Amino acid sequence: MSFVPGQPVTAVVERVEIQKLRQGENLILGFSIGGGIDQDPGQNPFSEDKSDKGIYVTRISPKGPADLAGLKIGDKIMQVNGWDMTMVTHDQARKKLTKKREDVVRLLVTRKSLEEAVKQSKGCYHKP
Amino acid sequence: MNNSKNQRDSDIQKKIDHEIRMRDGACKLLAACSQKDQALEAAKSLQTCSTRIMAYMSELQRMKEAQVMQKVTRRSSDAGPMDDRLPCKGKVAISDLRIPLMWKDTEYFKNKGELHRCAVFCLLQLGEEIFDTDMVIVDRTLTDICFDNTIVFSEASPGFELRVELYSCCSEDDYSAGSTPRKLASKLSSSLGRSAGKKLRAAMEPGPCSPVSNGGGAPLLLPVPSVPGPKYHLLAHTTLSLSHVQDSFRTHDLIISGNEECSYWLPLYGSMCCRLAAQPHCMTQQMMSGCLKVKQQCGGDPQSWTKVHAVLKGTSLFCYYRQEDVEANVEPAFTIGINKETRIRASEKDPLSKVQNICISNHYGGEEVTHTVTTDGREETHRWMEAFWQHFYDMSQWKQCCDDLMKIELPSPRKPAPITPKQGSLYHEMVIESSDDLSSTVSDILARRMQELELRSQLGTSPTWMSAFEESTARCTGRSRHCTRMSGHSPCTPHRLPRSPVSPHRCPQLGLLSSDASLTSDSDSHCSTSPCSHHHGWPEPTSSYSLLSSSPSRLRPRTLSLDAKLSTLRGRGYGGGGTFQCSCQPPPSSLLAPLPISSCSPRSQHSTQTTLSCSSSTSSNSSSNSEGSHSPESSEGGPFSRPSPARRSLRNLRARLDPRNWLQSQV
Repeated sequence: MSFVPGQPVTAVVERVEIQKLRQGENLILGFSIGGGIDQDPGQNPFSEDKSDKGIYVTRISPKGPADLAGLKIGDKIMQVNGWDMTMVTHDQARKKLTKKREDVVRLLVTRKSLEEAVKQSKGCYHKP
Repeated sequence: MNNSKNQRDSDIQKKIDHEIRMRDGACKLLAACSQKDQALEAAKSLQTCSTRIMAYMSELQRMKEAQVMQKVTRRSSDAGPMDDRLPCKGKVAISDLRIPLMWKDTEYFKNKGELHRCAVFCLLQLGEEIFDTDMVIVDRTLTDICFDNTIVFSEASPGFELRVELYSCCSEDDYSAGSTPRKLASKLSSSLGRSAGKKLRAAMEPGPCSPVSNGGGAPLLLPVPSVPGPKYHLLAHTTLSLSHVQDSFRTHDLIISGNEECSYWLPLYGSMCCRLAAQPHCMTQQMMSGCLKVKQQCGGDPQSWTKVHAVLKGTSLFCYYRQEDVEANVEPAFTIGINKETRIRASEKDPLSKVQNICISNHYGGEEVTHTVTTDGREETHRWMEAFWQHFYDMSQWKQCCDDLMKIELPSPRKPAPITPKQGSLYHEMVIESSDDLSSTVSDILARRMQELELRSQLGTSPTWMSAFEESTARCTGRSRHCTRMSGHSPCTPHRLPRSPVSPHRCPQLGLLSSDASLTSDSDSHCSTSPCSHHHGWPEPTSSYSLLSSSPSRLRPRTLSLDAKLSTLRGRGYGGGGTFQCSCQPPPSSLLAPLPISSCSPRSQHSTQTTLSCSSSTSSNSSSNSEGSHSPESSEGGPFSRPSPARRSLRNLRARLDPRNWLQSQV
């Protein structure tokens, strides 16, 4: 999931639609993010490429909205409601996820297993 | 004696010839090269060669003078045997030279003015040996001049004087040729150090002849080539001696020559840091060895002598059963300390063997322990006593170098540039090698890692926290709640179980653990106060995190990250979209038994190692959720004799998600 400067980034993504949950006066999604272009990519335990400064899911609250929607720990978030997440600061990402006027966030996330799944499905048909 | 003198003469002459050849080569290179870097390097070699030639020549001069003096003294008095004791020589190493600079803030921060660059290097001289460091280009973007070289001088006496000279050359000059000899002489005189330079200058002047007499007839001065190209000037110098030797970094003052007007000027702070270590030969080599008989400590029977092969080295007398043991690196049978507090005396003649015994007394703790040692004959005894006296003399001359052996690291000839991790942390250990292994997910790799750890722990180097899971008596201090839950599970020591790995319990896959999980269920987390810590009496870390290490063999420096301040922010529970959740509430200390790793205890509290408490405290905040990490494949069930790899892997993962190292936000 690394990028080559100047080249478009391609990834196999999954759409995850999370309905925010209201808790008091807060709307929560039930996960935590890490990463950002202003953060140290070397500290990211989930990224394959240690120079990847994308936004990653670091924790999922069980039975929370994100969990129910199918978000998984270690996912890299590519888009949030159409806003790009591959080249944002940590705070910008957080803000895009926590807009008070939005009840639902539609994410595009990618993970290694998706790539694998696509590869396998495109692969040989002769396996028993 | 004459022969050895002649030998030394010819040695020095050979060295001089060699250096002259090198110097010619450097001159040619300097004349021929077009690139500035090459020119600077060549000029540096030229400078070094010239200095070496001066040094050898003055050494020759000294030797000739000494010869002459000796003849004189021999005529005047009967030369008795030289019974001055000479201390042993040693190795002196200087490394990690760092010279701080003091730029004006307008220059440094605002980058005003044109960039003034200088090429600098250091010349280090001890006795006859002269070495130079690598050249470093310095401009106002640098705060320090650092030389990475380690220079080792091999034959230094305790009264050594290590002269450090810093040369610099402006790296933008137009190297104009054709300076008049006088200008050259004055430049060289400032480069080569005052006394040598004065000699040189005097020699170059056609005026009255130099004060240095040509005792031996060898030409004192070779014509210094005037070569177009960069020329180095002495910027600063200092002299170090035995009192400056220490096994750590020290700061020394520099004497600065030159002023702001000079082209080669650099704003030096005025001091220099370096590590100056010395290894006298008495600490590294065998000073004396032979057969001894040691009286048995316990026996009153005077006949019970143990025959040993003894080796005097460093601060001990090693006694081996057989001589072959020394080469075989077998542990000595016993060791008698020989240090500054040891007292050695010869006792009265033993009536049986008619040989004097040697008594070696030491103070161990409050007691005085005496070993009695004897040899085969009188000459042997004399030799051993002589060796002991020499050893004591060496130790008194080398002073602090003989307390402990200082390490001198010799860099390998071709050292590749050290690949330093960006910030030292445990994360860098974890390489996610998912390229080949299709099935590897994070948790699998973690599981493998835990197995590694397990292997390591089986070899005996288990991280201390593992002991929390060892079968041990369940010490039921504290909550009765825990006790009741624990009733069914004897191997568990509830109080010592860290709270964090709670999460997996919830997952149905970790069936067996689920009940145990209730132990450290999050509902308790708020009221926990780490009974473990009180238990073991380890000091509570002042920060809210207690630290463990999952890789006991390695120590990593603490990473200072931008979000360090977050550690003081409090989590707000499940709600609170938008604030940085670092959630370290006071009770987090409860979450973990603070078990510093035995091997590195003083630092372990501060070094960033797995911080399980952190992640669990994050979870403890949110009332309903506790852990958050799903690690779907992390189920490796099994009887709960040791924490399952899955559990440990989770813990590992959680450790790496330390918000102090990597900012995370809850949304």
